[in-house]
Parts: sequence; structure tokens; C-alpha cells
Amino acid sequence: MTDTWLKRWLYTTNHKDVGILYFFTSLYFGFVGAILALLMRAQLAAPGSNLLSAAYYNQALTMHGLIMIFWFLSPVALGLANYFVPLQIGAKDLAFPRINAMSYWIYLAGGILAVLSFFVPGGTANAGWTTYQPLATLALGTGPTLAYLGMVLLAASVTLGSVNFMVSIIWLRATGMTLSRLPMFTWFMLFTIIAMLFAFPTLIAAFVLASTDRILGTVFFTSTSIQPSILWDNLFWFFGHPEVYIVLLPGFGIIANILPAFTGRPLAAKNAILISTGLVVIPLSFGVWMHHMFLTGIPVSLQGAFSIATIAISIPFDVITLSFIESLVRGRVKFATPMLFALGGVILFIIGGITGVFLSSPVLDRAFRGSYFVVAHFHYVMVGAAIFGIIAGIYYWLPRMTGRMYNEKLGKWHFAISFIGFNVLYFPMNLLSDMPRRIFTYPNQGDWATLNAMASVGAFIFSGAQILLAANLLYTWFRGPIAPANPWGSPDLEWTSHVEGIAPIAESGAAPPTGGWIGQLSGPPQGHETQSRGGAVGHYGHLSSRPIQISIGALVFLIGAAFYPSISGVAGLVVGAGAVVYAFWGWAKDDIEGKFVVPPEDVGDRWPFASVPKLKLGIWVFLSSEVVLFGSFLGAYIFIRAASAQWPAAGSIHEIPLGTFNTLVLVTSGLTMFLALQSIRKGDRRGLLTWMGVTFVLGAVFMGVKVSEWFNLGGSGFVLADPAMSLASSAYYIIVGLHGAHVTAGLLVMAYLMKKTSMGTYTKDSHEAIENFGLYWAFVDIVWCFVFPLFYLL
Amino acid sequence: MYSGFLATPPTTATYDYLFYWYLFFGTAASVVVISLLVFFMVKYRSRGDGGPEIVHKTEGWKVVLVTVLISISILSAAEYQTFASFGNIEIPNDPNAVHIGVQAFQWGWTFTYPDGKTLLNNLTVPADRTVILNISSKDVFHSFGISMLAVKEDAIPGKVNQLWFLVPDPGVYKNAIRCFELCGVGHAFMVADLTVVSQSAWDTWMGS
Ligand code: HEM
Ligand SMILES: [Cu+2]
Ligand SMILES: [Cu+2]
Repeated sequence: MTDTWLKRWLYTTNHKDVGILYFFTSLYFGFVGAILALLMRAQLAAPGSNLLSAAYYNQALTMHGLIMIFWFLSPVALGLANYFVPLQIGAKDLAFPRINAMSYWIYLAGGILAVLSFFVPGGTANAGWTTYQPLATLALGTGPTLAYLGMVLLAASVTLGSVNFMVSIIWLRATGMTLSRLPMFTWFMLFTIIAMLFAFPTLIAAFVLASTDRILGTVFFTSTSIQPSILWDNLFWFFGHPEVYIVLLPGFGIIANILPAFTGRPLAAKNAILISTGLVVIPLSFGVWMHHMFLTGIPVSLQGAFSIATIAISIPFDVITLSFIESLVRGRVKFATPMLFALGGVILFIIGGITGVFLSSPVLDRAFRGSYFVVAHFHYVMVGAAIFGIIAGIYYWLPRMTGRMYNEKLGKWHFAISFIGFNVLYFPMNLLSDMPRRIFTYPNQGDWATLNAMASVGAFIFSGAQILLAANLLYTWFRGPIAPANPWGSPDLEWTSHVEGIAPIAESGAAPPTGGWIGQLSGPPQGHETQSRGGAVGHYGHLSSRPIQISIGALVFLIGAAFYPSISGVAGLVVGAGAVVYAFWGWAKDDIEGKFVVPPEDVGDRWPFASVPKLKLGIWVFLSSEVVLFGSFLGAYIFIRAASAQWPAAGSIHEIPLGTFNTLVLVTSGLTMFLALQSIRKGDRRGLLTWMGVTFVLGAVFMGVKVSEWFNLGGSGFVLADPAMSLASSAYYIIVGLHGAHVTAGLLVMAYLMKKTSMGTYTKDSHEAIENFGLYWAFVDIVWCFVFPLFYLL
Repeated sequence: MYSGFLATPPTTATYDYLFYWYLFFGTAASVVVISLLVFFMVKYRSRGDGGPEIVHKTEGWKVVLVTVLISISILSAAEYQTFASFGNIEIPNDPNAVHIGVQAFQWGWTFTYPDGKTLLNNLTVPADRTVILNISSKDVFHSFGISMLAVKEDAIPGKVNQLWFLVPDPGVYKNAIRCFELCGVGHAFMVADLTVVSQSAWDTWMGS
């Protein structure tokens, strides 16, 4: 436990280390989620039981759902992806290692908020993971606020992570790693990441609005005039349906990836699987959310349309499932533990998928909605298919991570008990379609008592089986026999290399441990071996203290926000914001001083983005998620406007001439930024500095006008407290404020860029940062071109 | 779904037909597919040495095509059955229907009858007549469901949703009505009784 040991784990930016951090942290959260589940199942074991009160049950229920989905299931997949996607594509690391570390620490900070929320008076969130409104907002108290802010952080972490993976998979593939050779796990992570990128911003928007209601007193979900329940439903489920594939696909990717290793034959219909997932499932997943709203009073024709879309989305899954099965044909199936979990996962998916077809029928949904049938369905899919797939991956890759073999016998027992326990736990729920879910107790009615008792027994069997997984992990890690370099004879790059020019991993020594965490837990960190072509570059060059600092700052800031406006809350806000600014400043300083350098990546296979620089690709990807973010806020605004009977007339609140002037200022700043870019493209550094200076001044003027407008508005009664103005002012301050925050961030970046310009950093051929900032600034301008008419003119 | 009725209510009958249709094909499909999996898994298990020749090609468009065609036919048939059952969720245009207001609140139900009377947690309806409920909520999102009639509709503040049903014969159904959306600590106890009375009893009650 040396200083360097600690430093390594706190400051690491290495993808394997971060992967391991993700892995263990998510297992911890999975444990917490399971304890909550067992509490619920103990309470439900018999009718009329009094183990948990309704208040505690609702909290356990809500946090079980949130923690399992957001802090366990997705992160455990991200952990494996962190470790193995770079290895699978032959990259030295992810595209932005520091941002990767930041994703992890922010994820953890969000989790800490969620766990803390249990311990404040009144307890934590209790409105279910779906956080239906207005119930969620009417439940006052700091606990739910902390949990919802945790969700905002989690979603921010996922967004950063998806930008990172997207750029890495597109841009960091080794030479020869063409798309047609990309391993299936990486493919499926790519699909997952795409869905995340466009789904999570809506979740951020939803939880930001819910949080400002709690903290600042906005009225998005408490106003009675606009059907806030429906607003929330749309925001939440627009995110929520893609989310079900987000949690499912990593598991499927693992199954697809590992089948050939245990059948000895290639995956059947690989291209059909890819097309089904990438071109059908992912796009369609954004168009079926209203199947969660069949009962909210939408027209029958719309129910029919969404029913058809939903049923259509099951066809690609039929293709995937059947192809998995065809992959056994004329192979030599070996029943090692990973294979058992993979096949078990497919079987459970078939059951869960078919119950999903039932749910797609609006007529049948009249019976199922809100009942245990739904609970059975989504556990079959999320736990059965997704988690069984992920467990398969854990066993499969354990030898790669530890250099040691797990215990096969224990693994098989683990599978057998899990599979049986799972079905004893969840199958009875299929038969409980007349029992409402989310009730903490029930009368002794019909077959409810028997079926619930069965489920509870199953819960303890299934959870107990996971102790075998823990035991096997520990056994492997400390006692496992040394694993062969490629125990499965896999053709994938993380095990060996069939791609020309890439050294196989076993090269570094005859007797692995091939460089997992095990060799490095004791003693000072060594350079990680790398599998990439060219000389091995030790990754210990890039430790950075900034990611964890930023995350601590964010944590303190949000705790402060939850306790606002008490003195300690304000203190938290100030200290947290200070820490974040300090850390970002340090981040920039590390760059300027050359303290943090990522070794440049060699040329690889980057089709179809070969001519786009890495950072620019990152900015594009990031901005596309920002489009969804602003789209969600503006969509919410349009919903509110459409639902409101009255709204202050245009010109009565916001001064149109002043707003027009400000719009001109911002648009002009877009032009001057373009001139700045043109200057440096010609190599004219003074021109760059001048025009950027002008852009800065224009941006500052814009913000100045904004601030004065806000002062006047506050003075003239455009305040949340005025019932006639509360909705209009909520929307205005939050959404226009969000845009203002983007402008302000732009100003800060500009200051940094001008400093670097004056240091002579940028040249005609090397001014990527300026190009990227130009994109960002153009984006901020364009957003205003939507905000201005929506808020000032209409 | 529930056999305590003398004559099956129409929504229940439609639901039962549809559900068993889905159940039949759903069970058949899962049995076939899971058996295929198990069959191949056993047939092609590794037997130490030898065994049949391993394939090395990855394409299998034939199977994909067959899968897609079979799925499309079963699923379209299912969707057709669903559309054919939309009578369950379309409000009938029945001039003779009884309209009853339902207001959900934390935690219970207020039923408002045509003559302005209100009852707490007791929905009383005439037998053999179309009943249309106008469901709303006083506070938070609830969901009004009668499982044995296979009807359910959300109770949303600021919004009125409708559902309909008809029960042929009189009867008293304790706790037949339940809330199906988490609405706070009283959610588990948010139940109500369904009382179906004869037309004459209903008329007397309305007159009183
Ligand atoms: C140890 C195994 C597990 C058991 C015994 C279990 C049990 C339960 C129970 C009893 C409920 C409450 C149902 C209700 O009242 O509506 C529930 C809800 C839920 N579970 Fe699990 N579960 C387990 C694992 C998981 C996992 C691994 C996930 C996801 C990755 C998950 C996701 C959910 C979700 C999203 C809900 C809904 C929460 C809500 O209604 O807000 N569960 N589970
Ligand atoms: Cu969905
Ligand atoms: Cu309820």
C-alpha cells in the first residue's frame, strides 16, 4: 500500500486501470442493489408482512432500480469495454485518456450522491426509477434531490464516455483492423455508445428540470396547468426505451463475441446481426417510446402505430437470436462456463423477448401495465440476457485480466444455481399479471401468496449463487493456475493477433501473467505492456490528478446545490465551483507546460473518417449530443407553450429590440470567429489574435446584456414566485441560462486559446484547437438562433 | 382471466381470446426456438476427437431470410389480432351508456354518479349496460385498473381519460379495482370495490 500504489489508482488514466476501477465499483453497486432487492423480496415473501414500511419499501424499490441500471449494469459493461475495446482494436489507449478517467470519477461521484441520499433525514428518492411526476417532485426533502443530482452526474459521465469510445473505435483502430474485422464486442459497444450519445442528453434534461424544481423553485413538474405527468413521460421514455437496448447490447456483444471460441466455427450471419442491430434496432429504438404511454390517453390510432413500430423492432432480435443458434450448427460445442452463461442468456432472452411482444399490444397492455408481468419481462431481459452475457464475458476475459484461470467446476455450479434460481425467482411473476407492482404488501388473494413465496425463495437462491462468482474471482486472482496466453484459441486481437504487424500478447514472456492487474498490485507500477504495433509505450507517463479533482469539485458543488439555500449549501456551491475551476485550470496548465502528453497514435484504419483529426471528431460527436440536449430542453419548452392556456404576450416581458441587438452581436461574433480562423489558416497569428479578441469582446457584450436583462426582469416581477409568471420565467431562466452557460464556457476557452496564441502555439499547419473552438462557437450561435425567436418573438 | 362471472363481460372475452392467441403462438415460438438451441447444442457438442466437419463460412442469409419471413407472418397476424380487438380500448358510441366520473387521490377513489352523488372507493354500476368512466386525478399520477375486466387507464392530473366496460350480471367484487401506478406510501392500499346492480336497483338508487 505504498504511496505510488495509491497514486496509481487515484491518478491513472490508463484504460485498463480505469476499466478495473469501473469493474469493481460497479460490482460494489450491484451488491448494494441486490441487498435492496433482497429486502424487498423478504418483505414480499408473505402477505401482510411488516418487515419494511411502505416508506422504506418505496425507497428500496426506487434505489434498487436506479442503482442496478445506472450504477451497476451499464458501468460493468463500460468497465469491460474500457479494458477490452482498446485491446480489441489494437489501440494504445482510448482517444482521450484523461476524459476517460474523468468519466469514471464522475460516475463514482454520482454514485456517492445516490448512496448519501439514504442517510439524510427523510430518506432518499421514493417515486420509482421512472420518477413519475408530479409524485417525485412533491416528495420534498434533500434525499431525493441528492439522488437526482447523482443521476445528472451519471448521465454526464456516460455522455463523456460515449464521445470517448466513439472516437476511439472510429479513429484508433490499428492498421489492418478494418471494420469488417472489428470484433463483435467492439461493434456492439459502438452501437451501445451511439444509443447512449443520443439518449442520455434527454435524461440529463429531464433530471435537470426535476432538480431545478426542487432547488430553485421552478415549476416544470408542479404546475397544474400543463399536465406535467405527460411532459415527464415523454422526456423520460424518449430516453427510456433506447436505454433498454443500451443495457442489453453489451451483453449481446459478448455473446456474439465469444460463441465462436466455444463452437470452433465462425458466428453465423455476422453481417445480418450487425445490420439488424446497427441499422434497425438503434434507429427504431428512438421511435417507440410511446408504447410506455398506451394508457395515458393518447389516441387509439397512435397506440396502433406505436404498437406496430414496437413489434417491428422485435424482428431484428429474432434474426440475432436465430443466428446465435445457427452458430452452433456444425461446430464443436464446448461447455465451458462462459459458454453456459452465453447460451443461458440466449434462452432467458427468448422468454423475456416473447413477453415483450405481449406488451406491445395496447389491448393486452390494459392487463399488464403496472403489474408483475412487466417486472418479469424486464428482469428476463436485463438480468437474464444482459447480465448472463456480462457474466459470460467476465469468465471469458478473467484469464486475460489476471493471467490466471478461474475454477471451472465452481463456474459451472455458479451457472446452474443462477439459472435455476433465476427462473424460480422471476417465472412466477409472469403469472402475476393481476398483482400491481410497486406495492409493499398484498392481501392473501388468489395465488398471490404462493407465487410470491416462490419468487422470494428464488431471490435468495439467485443472489446466493453470486457468492460463487465472488469466490471464483478471488480464487482466480490469488490461486488460479497460470493461464495459457490464449486459453480459448480466440482469433481476436486481445488474445492474439491475426492482423499483420501486431505483436501477439504472449510475446512479452513465456509464462504469463500477461500483464493484468495481478502482477502490479504489489510493488511500484510498471509500464503496462501494450499490444499495439510499434514499440511498447509505457502508459505510466500519463498520470493526472485533474480528473479526480474535477469530480470531487462536482461532488461538493452538487451536495451544496442539494442543501441550497442554507449557508452550508452556499458554501458547498462556492467551494465546489472553485475546485472545478481550479482543476480545469490545472488541466490546461498541464497541457501548456507539457506535463501531460499522450503519445501520438500511429496511422491506422480510420475509414470512413480518415481525414478528420481526432479532436475534431470528438467535438463533432460531442456537439451532436449537445443538439439532443438543447433539443430536449426546447422540446420541453414547446410542450409547455402548447399546453398552456395563457402566456405573456410577445414583447410584454422581453424587450424585442434589445434581444435583436444582442442576437446581432452574437451572430457577428460568429463571423469574426470565422475571420479568426481564416487568419490562422493563412498562418497569420496576429490576425488570429485580433479577430479572436473581437469575438471575445462581442461574446462578453452579449453576456453583459443578458445579465442586465436578467436584473431588469427580476426587478419587474418576472419571477418564479408570481403564479402568472412562474412557468414562463422557469422556462426562460433555465433554458436561456443554459445557453448563457455555454457562451460563458466559450469565453473561458477563448481566453485560454488567446493565451496560447500569444505564446506562439498555433501555426498554419497546426491549429486544430482553433478549428474545434470555431465549431463550438458556431454551435452556440446556432442554438441562440432557435432560442431567440422561441422566447422573444413568439 | 377470471371465471367468477355468470356471463363473461365483453372486454374480458376479447382480452381472453387475444391473450390466449398470443400465449399459444408465444409458447409455441419459444418452445421451438429453445428446443432448437438445445438440440443443436447437444448434437454438435464436442466429443473429444473427430466429429462432423466444422463449417468455416459465416454467412447464413438463408436462415436470416426464413427467420424474417416467419417472424413477419406471425407478428403481423398478432398485430392483426390486436387491431381486431381495439374495441376494448375504443370508447363505444352508445347513447344508453352510463357515464361515471372517477377521481383518484392519495389514496383512494371518488366516484361521481350521473345524479351528482359521490361514493368513496365503491364503483356501483348497472348490469348489462355500457359504463364509461371519465378518469382523472386530484394530485399525482395513478392508474385505474380492473384486472378481471382487462381494463386500465391512467389517472393523470389535469387530464381526463376514458375507459369502458360492461358486466352482464349483478354481483359484488371486493377489491376488484386497484391502482397500478406508484403514487406514494398508500399505493398498496388504493383499492375499491365494484358493485354491479340490476337495472331496476340502479334506477331506484339514481332516483333516491
Ligand atoms: C438479486 C436479484 C434481483 C432481485 C431479487 C430483484 C427484485 C426486484 C423487485 C422485488 C423489484 C420490485 C418490483 C416492484 O415492486 O415493482 C424489482 C424492481 C426492479 N428491478 Fe430488480 N431484482 C434483481 C436484480 C435486478 C437487476 C440486476 C436489475 C437491472 C440491472 C434490476 C432492475 C430492476 C428495475 C429497473 C426495477 C424497477 C424499479 C422500479 O419499479 O422503480 N433488478 N426488482
Ligand atoms: Cu420501451
Ligand atoms: Cu397508486
